[in-house]
Amino acid sequence: MKIFAFALAAMLPCLAAGPDVDKGRSMGDPAAPMMFELYSDFMCPACKNLHENVLPSIIRDYVTTGKAYLIFREFPLNIPAHVHSRQAAGLAVAASRIGKYQTVSDALFRSQQAWGASGKVWETVAGVLTPAEQKKVQALVNDPAVLADVQRDVDRGMKAALSQTPTVMVTYKLRQQPWTNFVDYTLFRGYIDGLLKK
Amino acid sequence: MAFSKSRILPIAVVILRVVLGGIFIYAGYVKLSEPWQLFAAGIADYEVVPMWAAKFLAHTLPWFEVVIGVLLIAGRWFRTSTVCTSLLLLVFFSLMVRAFAGGKEINCGCFGPNELISWKTLVRDGSMLAASLFLTVIAFRNSRKPGVTLKAPGPDLADYRE
Repeated sequence: MKIFAFALAAMLPCLAAGPDVDKGRSMGDPAAPMMFELYSDFMCPACKNLHENVLPSIIRDYVTTGKAYLIFREFPLNIPAHVHSRQAAGLAVAASRIGKYQTVSDALFRSQQAWGASGKVWETVAGVLTPAEQKKVQALVNDPAVLADVQRDVDRGMKAALSQTPTVMVTYKLRQQPWTNFVDYTLFRGYIDGLLKK
Repeated sequence: MAFSKSRILPIAVVILRVVLGGIFIYAGYVKLSEPWQLFAAGIADYEVVPMWAAKFLAHTLPWFEVVIGVLLIAGRWFRTSTVCTSLLLLVFFSLMVRAFAGGKEINCGCFGPNELISWKTLVRDGSMLAASLFLTVIAFRNSRKPGVTLKAPGPDLADYRE
């Protein structure tokens, strides 16, 4: 009994440090052998590039094939040039509560330059939602739980000592490795395929 | 037992050779034990070479580091190995300073992934460069001395004589 209690006590921190997944911001099979946590900032141009040009390949090769579980994490950079990042992250997380995360994040990345300059983040989000969905998102965006979700992602990224966005935190067999270079997708694919063969 | 300058210098050279050689072997080993793509991505992050060159370097540089390290410790081809070490460290150090000064928060890539360039890494690599340049000077100075072989300073060198 004592051994069982000790084992349980030892496992508690592991359980607490689990993936902490918001179902609306994840894709694929949670039981997949590999986990990708994509940390991005809606105002970051490299994140836009990843979202539009590389992410579809990652989803095609690893998520839809059941090899990896993809989790989207918000990491709004706290710099003057990214003044609307946190608001965008909040709206995206609020939209995830009604199953519209992908629609909203697609829209935010697509017109990143426009709302980045004008500050019309809500207008961009509202443009891809029905009036009923808009009401729900507007109510949710001020929900402390939504704001806490964004902050939790940021804290998680800070704890992992992320140095830039976008970063994909690859977790495989209890080992984590951040990946930040998406200039050449074949490099990332080679790395992941190599890991999966191990 | 008093150590004269002529005795201390060869001992210091041997220590530096072994330490620097050991560091190079370790650096190469760590990179070889990780998937090469991690090192290639690290090289590409510096944005000084095209991706094909980053891939080529990721495959070859770790082996080169191991060979250089072995040569330094063994004391063979001393001039060649010290010049190669100095040039390599000069390139590494310059790139790190350039990245750090440019505000890039990228991995150093020195001993595998996940070590950001910082003052600590700059001081460490700068010290290694200084040590390597010192060894290079010694290697060439000894080679000009009459009756002294080109081999690395060791117990058989005339430097030990008063």
